[in-house]
Amino acid sequence: MNEYIIALVLGVAFGFALNKAGLTKYTKIVNQFRLVDMTVLKFMMTALVVTMVGLYPLRELGLISFPTVPATYLVGNLVGGLIFGVGMALAGFCPGTCVAGAGEGKLDYIVPGMLGFLAGAILYGLTYQLVFPPISSIANFGNVVLPDLWNVNALLLVTVFAVMALLLFYMIDRMGLQRKVK
Amino acid sequence: MDWLVKQLKKEEWSPYAAGVLLGIVGILTVLLSNKLLGASGGFENIAGLVGKTVAPSAFSNTYFNFVMPAGISYSVVLLVGLFFGGMLGAWTSGTLKFRTMDDQQWKQAYGAQPWKRWIMLFLGGIVLEYAAGIAGGCTSGLAISGGMLLAPSAFLFIAGMFASGIVTALLVYGKRY
Repeated sequence: MNEYIIALVLGVAFGFALNKAGLTKYTKIVNQFRLVDMTVLKFMMTALVVTMVGLYPLRELGLISFPTVPATYLVGNLVGGLIFGVGMALAGFCPGTCVAGAGEGKLDYIVPGMLGFLAGAILYGLTYQLVFPPISSIANFGNVVLPDLWNVNALLLVTVFAVMALLLFYMIDRMGLQRKVK
Repeated sequence: MDWLVKQLKKEEWSPYAAGVLLGIVGILTVLLSNKLLGASGGFENIAGLVGKTVAPSAFSNTYFNFVMPAGISYSVVLLVGLFFGGMLGAWTSGTLKFRTMDDQQWKQAYGAQPWKRWIMLFLGGIVLEYAAGIAGGCTSGLAISGGMLLAPSAFLFIAGMFASGIVTALLVYGKRY
């Protein structure tokens, strides 16, 4: 019960962040893929850096252990991502932004959007046995994180990632690493 | 206080500010419930629930029994939260209202007919959810939740997503890309 209240509060904060970042709009999403608006990339990379900087030191100190991370199976992760990108660029949303946008009162997200995700979920669940076991058995590394896989110091890797992200932000904002709208 | 109210009323924040908020949410998700954020998974749990009500035998398979069990899970509650979070964000900026076809650029890309958008969003939803199933998560559950813990799966997914997303946008926009 308590866990549900936590999930609700965290979900609200997540939806609020998506709304304030403007990601519940078609234009924001598709313009990321047109490389004329880097909001999605900045938003995601910032969140990644903040979380890993917050959590990895605690893990290194032995104070926490991570929940099960999404499994790595090279072909499936990549192929799934490739199909996902097509859908995301065409429709201009993803599961999370659709639900948050639905809350804003967007009827096209509430009705065809959410029904589409539900239909996709039914379709996937019914064909799971045909699709998932074969694709996930190729190059499967399990529920692994990079520092463990590569056997490198986690805090070093986090630092490198954070510096790379900051460099990317600098290149976008100060060096014009972004296309101009035609 | 005035500053805070002013920020809350803004329709759009800097992506860095919104990203920091999401990062904090990511930290709290792990610390408070030892779980990860996600969105596509919740739809699977609901699909199982709906399916088991309508056609119990067809939906009594490995997937809906064990992999993503039908029911009101943590992920489903997250979805409910996402919905109200979007609502809260829109309410604070005074943009909360029922609407459809509110995107100018969509009309330029696909035309102004609402039915086209409705079909595209429905089909898009199917494709996205199915792809998330194959990949092991969506933008939330895999790209963000996996990426923030440095899971290689997340970066493979993000690479695939950007590669095909850019090509797709190029095809849709053609000369206007």
